[in-house]
Amino acid sequence: MVDFSHLTKAYKKKVVVDDFTLSVDVPIFGFLGQNGAGKTTIMKMIVGLLQPTSGTITIDGALSSHPIFKKKLGYMPETPYFYERMTGMEFLRFCDELFDNTNSGADPAARTSHYEEILKKVGIFAARNAEIRTYSKGMRQRLGFAQSLVNDPEYLFLDEPLDGLDPIGRREMKEVMLALKHEGRKIFLNTHILADVEEICDEVGIVHKGRLLYAGSVKAFCAGKPLEERFMEAVAEHESIALNAVPAHEIPAGHHQK
Amino acid sequence: MRNIFIIAKNTLKLEIRDKILYGIIVFGLLYVFFTLFLADLVLKEPTMVKAFGLTGIYFFNAIIALFLGTTSFFKDVDRKVVYFILSKPVSRAQFLLGKFFGLCMVLLLTSGILAVAYEGVVTYKLGMFDGIGLVAVAMQFLEMALFLAFAIFVSTFASSLLSIVYTSGVFFLGHIVSQLVIDAKAIGISGIRLWLVEILYYVFPNLEKFDARDFAIHAVAVPWASFSLAVAYAAAYIIFLLAAAVWIFNKKEI
Repeated sequence: MVDFSHLTKAYKKKVVVDDFTLSVDVPIFGFLGQNGAGKTTIMKMIVGLLQPTSGTITIDGALSSHPIFKKKLGYMPETPYFYERMTGMEFLRFCDELFDNTNSGADPAARTSHYEEILKKVGIFAARNAEIRTYSKGMRQRLGFAQSLVNDPEYLFLDEPLDGLDPIGRREMKEVMLALKHEGRKIFLNTHILADVEEICDEVGIVHKGRLLYAGSVKAFCAGKPLEERFMEAVAEHESIALNAVPAHEIPAGHHQK
Repeated sequence: MRNIFIIAKNTLKLEIRDKILYGIIVFGLLYVFFTLFLADLVLKEPTMVKAFGLTGIYFFNAIIALFLGTTSFFKDVDRKVVYFILSKPVSRAQFLLGKFFGLCMVLLLTSGILAVAYEGVVTYKLGMFDGIGLVAVAMQFLEMALFLAFAIFVSTFASSLLSIVYTSGVFFLGHIVSQLVIDAKAIGISGIRLWLVEILYYVFPNLEKFDARDFAIHAVAVPWASFSLAVAYAAAYIIFLLAAAVWIFNKKEI
């Protein structure tokens, strides 16, 4: 179970994640929100790339940024960047080597076939020995996904994993995610693409301006309406509440309610 | 330690694939071979081949150290490749130290290649193996390691371009501060002006401590005390700079 407790992140006076509290215990959970909603910041705090200003994130009771927990997680950053002069295979090996004793003592041939399996799974096996600088955007996304699987993680945190993929690529990656779900892994993904959420997520968290507007099943959230329509309604409701909470003299011209 | 080694090994592997590095090494080798003729042309003094050769190795290694130190670490952070690394069980300190030692290994390699060429030229021209020259190259390497540590330290808070400016400035000042104090006293500067010059002396590393080229040129053994002092001086400065770099990097929002 992943618990967010009063999680807040501020850069000087700008609050990007605001008192975020949530418990998640489903196989695939999607953070849904507009660009700049705070989804990436939350994910970076989960994997220890950023420190919360206040609040905590625990996974199965332990702090998520603890080095021991990091062995159990896989992370794919948004728009992944790589060492361009490495091959896909070399990059996976490098990532694997960083997971200390669990993998280092293993038979190198077994590790190599493990990398090959992953590359086959994400569909870039044929390009495994090509330098990454020759990869297309879609291939880079797939490699970013591949490296997150190298340590057989229990938890996967994927930031916009389907961005830049063509329709066939999106379908394949979604199938991989569902296969991972059936293997018992827990997946968190960030996306702003509503159709993906509807299709593969068991539950969603709607994030807007750093605040959690809703968490629960997609079906309950939609209440018979299309997800896009409900999402827009939820955002508009939040904006309206926020606007009403502001003293009248602080509301910019054109925003006054009649 | 293991993660530092893995990152260092990876840094070495990536940097030696860089064509710019090859270009600098090729120019360095051409220069070292060219000293065969240069020494004859200038002073008709065969031992000058040592002076030109060792200065050449120093110059080309300084270019490599400046190029690697100001770009390698900065690029990994700026292009967010670190996201892959730091989301794994790797601390920021391990990453930074891994980069430093990896770049040191590159410099060790380039120093070795240029030193082999130098010894070849000296043996051909003077019919002798220059052991003291190797000590001079080793001391130059210490200076370059310090130079790298400073460049990485600056890269934790400044852009690549600013790192080049700051690191070049320290390189320049590091070579003149000791002479500056001597000159200031010789011409009778005192009071606050002398005090300012002395502050410069204590703040900036004294890079002249690593210059053993004259010993090699005149075939005089480098005193053990000078060598030991240079090693201790470099180690102290490098530890301080890397500790400061880790402290800043740990606070940095990436």
